[in-house]
Amino acid sequence: MSEKELTEQLVDPQETIRLLQKELEETNSGLVALTLELEYRVDARTAELHEAHDELRRTNSELLQMTLELEERVAQRTEELRKLNEELEARVRGRTAELESTNRELEAFTYSVSHDLRAPLRHIDGFSKLLLEEHGPELSDQARHYLTRVRDGARRMGQLVDDLLSLSRVGRQEVRWHIVGLSALLEEAQRDLQPEMEGRQIDWKISPLPFVECDPALMKQVFANLLSNAVKFTRPRERAVIEVGTMTRDDQTVVFVRDNGVGFSMKYADKLFGIFQRLHRQEDFEGTGVGLATVQRIIHKHGGRVWAEAELNTGATFYFTVGAAEVRETKDPIALGGEA
Amino acid sequence: MTGDEIGILLVEDNPEDVELTLHALRQQHLANDIQVVRDGEEALDFLFCRGPYGQRSFESPPRVVLLDLKLPKVDGLEVLRQIKSDPRTKAIPVVILTASREEKDMINGYHLGGNGYIQKPVDFDKFRETVKQLGLYWLVVNEPPPASAFRVR
Repeated sequence: MSEKELTEQLVDPQETIRLLQKELEETNSGLVALTLELEYRVDARTAELHEAHDELRRTNSELLQMTLELEERVAQRTEELRKLNEELEARVRGRTAELESTNRELEAFTYSVSHDLRAPLRHIDGFSKLLLEEHGPELSDQARHYLTRVRDGARRMGQLVDDLLSLSRVGRQEVRWHIVGLSALLEEAQRDLQPEMEGRQIDWKISPLPFVECDPALMKQVFANLLSNAVKFTRPRERAVIEVGTMTRDDQTVVFVRDNGVGFSMKYADKLFGIFQRLHRQEDFEGTGVGLATVQRIIHKHGGRVWAEAELNTGATFYFTVGAAEVRETKDPIALGGEA
Repeated sequence: MTGDEIGILLVEDNPEDVELTLHALRQQHLANDIQVVRDGEEALDFLFCRGPYGQRSFESPPRVVLLDLKLPKVDGLEVLRQIKSDPRTKAIPVVILTASREEKDMINGYHLGGNGYIQKPVDFDKFRETVKQLGLYWLVVNEPPPASAFRVR
């Protein structure tokens, strides 16, 4: 309302009232519209909220459902795992029982080999010998020759049976760990070899050996077999040289036994430790091919390694480690003294 | 003295082994007073003077028993156990003479009171030498237990 209008109205109160009424009505209808608008908006918003609420409830119940499902699955999985575990345990028990029974069978077999196979061999050898002794003169040269062959065969099979038995004994035997000086074991093995060294010229070059944790009986067997090979394969040498010492390789102490014997070609090195494998003819060097297989089995039982280097007609060197078992610093003065 | 003294009781089921052992002893002129029994039960009957050996006396036991381990009926270790657990027989020297070189047999043999353990060699020359030494040692060199050792005190 302009100032002029206002001035005019003030002049006419009727008109003023009319105008004011009109204005009021206008305002009123505006308010009604606004109210309607607001109501509408509130309704819309409420609907939106309801929807959101519903959505949340749905989500919530979905989550709840998922949780339940998950819990169920976890329970299921746990049960499955438990069953699996039980099955595994049962299988382990079964396997252990099987192994134990196989072991027992093997022992029975070995026992039977030891006892029953040797007896007929002894009889073959014995009666052939008696035949030769008591009826030799009645036999032809050829017949006597055949009988000698029979005896050789029986004795050789006896040796094979014995060697096989000792190999199987090594396989079955548990390692009885002791700290022991290898020098002492070497000396014992060397002493046992005396009969094989009769009439031989052998230069022994033996360095002090370390103290290690090992099975003394088994480790002595390793030396016995390696030394016996060294003595055997240097037989053609007028002066045999056998050297025993240690060296360090990859931070580990390696014991070696070296000889200047007939050696072998490295071509066959992979066959060396195989059971019944021989690289020499029976006429040249006797043996059953079990010695080095036994050595390998013993060293492996100790967690060590064994290998060889050789040159044909020059000599061979056998190396072995005794796992990580070496006693590097011994505080025992007696033990130290023994090494010197 | 009852006149039934014997030198060696050979407990051996295998006829070839019996023959070879007797042959070896005969060559040493030690086979005259040897008694052979063929299973564990017969060995026990003989040593405990019962059954077919009921006429024997505990006071004239063999100078030595050569005992195989693998025997029919009663095995060698059981025979040894019974000999060594009875005061009337425990003083009898028992030498195990077997083909087995199994450690557990050796341990059991000595634990049960065996007086020796000998593995029969396959090589007949060695076998004969072994039997000869055994015979000479137990029948000639060794001083047997006095008769009172077999009486129950």
